[in-house]
Amino acid sequence: MASAEDIKQRIETAIPGAHADVEDYTGGGDHFRATVTAQAFEGLGRIEQHRLVYAVFGSEIGGAIHALALKTQLPLKIPTTN
Amino acid sequence: MSADPASQYQPLPMSARPAPAPTPDASEQSNPIRDAIVQAIEAHKLILFMKGTPEAPACGFSARTVAMLQALEAPFAAVDVLPDPRIRQELSALSQWPTIPQLFLDGELVGGCDIVTEMYESGELAQALS
Repeated sequence: MASAEDIKQRIETAIPGAHADVEDYTGGGDHFRATVTAQAFEGLGRIEQHRLVYAVFGSEIGGAIHALALKTQLPLKIPTTN
Repeated sequence: MSADPASQYQPLPMSARPAPAPTPDASEQSNPIRDAIVQAIEAHKLILFMKGTPEAPACGFSARTVAMLQALEAPFAAVDVLPDPRIRQELSALSQWPTIPQLFLDGELVGGCDIVTEMYESGELAQALS
C-alpha cells in the first residue's frame, strides 16, 4: 500500500524537475489522482506525457495501484520582454 | 448510468475465449487475442476498450468515458476487457498504455478517461469526432 506522499516522491524523483500534487481519493492507498507539472513534458503530446508518468510505476499500475488519474502540464511561463 | 435508449454503440462480438492458452514460447508466433484486438481497432472508426459494457460499466472511469461519448452522440464500438485478463494484457502491450478504458479513433489511441475528459471539456473531442 502506498501513500500519496510515496507516489509524489517517486514521480518527482523519476522525472527531473517535476512537481506532483497527489491525492489518495479513496483513502485506501490504491486510488490516486495526480497533477504533474514538469518541463520534461515540453514537446510531448498528451499521450506521451501520461506515458512518462505511468512509466514511473510500471506494472504496479493496474496492480497495487488500481488507479492513477493524471493531469499533466508544463510549468507556467511568465512572459518576459527584453 | 442511466440506460441509453438510443443504443449509440455497436456491441462487438469479440470472443472472450478465443484460443487455448498459449504456451510461453508460442506467444510470439501466434497471438489470436492480439490479432483480434488489432482487427477490431482497424474495423471501427471509434472503439472503446472498457470494463463492463456501455449499459453496465463495471468501473467509474469506463462509465464516465461512455457517458461523454454518448453525450456527443458518437457511435462507438465497445469491447469488455473483463471476461479474459489476456485481452487487457495484450491491449496494453500493443498500445503501451497501462490503464482501462482506452479509446481509439481511426486506429490511434486517443487516451484514457483523463485525456478524454480534458478533450471533452475543451471541445476538442467533439471536434475530433465530427
